Amino acid sequence: MRKQDPRWLIVFAANLLLWWLVGLANDYLAGFSLHLYLGGLFVVYASLQLDRKHGLIAIVLTGLMFDAAEPVPFGTSLFLFGLIHATLLYGRRQFPRESAVFGIVVAQLANLFLFIALSFLLVGANPNPAGAWLRLFVDLLASQLVILLIAPWFLALQQRTMEMLRVHPETGRRVAS
Amino acid sequence: MLPKRYDQARPFATLGIILLVWLLLPLVLKVFTRATFFEIQAPLVVADSYAEDLRTFWANRLHSKDELLKAGKDLSGLFAQYAYSTQQNAELQAEILRMENLLNLPPMPAFRFEPARVARRDFSGWWSRMIIRKGSNYGIPVGAPVVFSGGVVGRVTEVHRYTAVVDLITSPTFRLAATMSGDNRPFSYQGGLNDAFKSPRGLAEFVPLDVHVTRATPKRVVTSGLGGVFPGGLTIGELAELESSPDGLFRIGEVALDERLGALTEVTVLVPLNPEEQ
Repeated sequence: MRKQDPRWLIVFAANLLLWWLVGLANDYLAGFSLHLYLGGLFVVYASLQLDRKHGLIAIVLTGLMFDAAEPVPFGTSLFLFGLIHATLLYGRRQFPRESAVFGIVVAQLANLFLFIALSFLLVGANPNPAGAWLRLFVDLLASQLVILLIAPWFLALQQRTMEMLRVHPETGRRVAS
Repeated sequence: MLPKRYDQARPFATLGIILLVWLLLPLVLKVFTRATFFEIQAPLVVADSYAEDLRTFWANRLHSKDELLKAGKDLSGLFAQYAYSTQQNAELQAEILRMENLLNLPPMPAFRFEPARVARRDFSGWWSRMIIRKGSNYGIPVGAPVVFSGGVVGRVTEVHRYTAVVDLITSPTFRLAATMSGDNRPFSYQGGLNDAFKSPRGLAEFVPLDVHVTRATPKRVVTSGLGGVFPGGLTIGELAELESSPDGLFRIGEVALDERLGALTEVTVLVPLNPEEQ
């Protein structure tokens, strides 16, 4: 294994970039009362491609990044992301995790789980919970559509970055150019 | 070597250990970690806000002199009105001070006005927040009211070194005591009615039974001044329809909020001059 192994840093930096882009999109969509939540996309590459240690580090840092910027109990995203990470690690060897289509499906399912979990946690504060679920449904629909569109690009971005740095995502060994 | 099933379940055991450690972690460490991670992201949030300002500056530079002169002429009438209102305001403030001294009344809350640019808006179905480009470096305290030309924007909930987070009046977690303009009986206002692709609305509850509004004659909802956070008389929105509450003792209705809330670029934070009195 390389002495200085940047795999967790590459994934965290990519997640930071995506976080910034999603923030820009939500800033623009605020005028339309629409919001994108793409939490599932942040978890996929780290859980499917990295080894346990580096994947966990990237997931923990990403979860803390989410929690720092959201008005939720600190540690909520950390736990939810960690749960998805553990679940994917448990069964990933049985699936074609190199496939982009599989990555998109996993991102969609993970995002659906995160969205619903956060909604159950936070919707109680709304004065009209039934109306809030309708708004949340529209946000979820938009978020899943955006994940469908950008997941291939985001997964390829991280994979290509690993290739440019000549490091295998799971083993950390140097690969030939 | 552990059986394959237990080896695969190790991630869940690791997660359980992390969760246990997290729960036992001292609060001060969690607060420090949260602040640290927020400040890591803050430059990204603020940078694109400055980039937007630069874009607007260069877009304005492309306007011809004639267009700028015409815009200045259109605004001159508005400036004259504001100048007159400022003079009136000063006279009214002096009159209030005279009355307070005459009747031995406690002073009204005084504020310092701190304008701030909006760096980022985040309006979801769970919360409505915005990040402004001023924080503790400008003496902004937690809980300070935030306003704009159309009325109330929200309340400062988090303050960091160079930024602050404002919870908007459209947020489900935002509540305050409001009154109808010209009436001093308070009722409850709460945000949270934010349907997609529609104007933001809030909920008015515990409105007195003898208050009547119609779509043709809506009434302005303003802050009551109770609680000492928001000064009284600031516009919240308009109430055009009321119905009886489930218990029949009060009336409830939807407050139509200013549509500009979703596109604000600059707000004003009211920093209390005497926070210990409020």
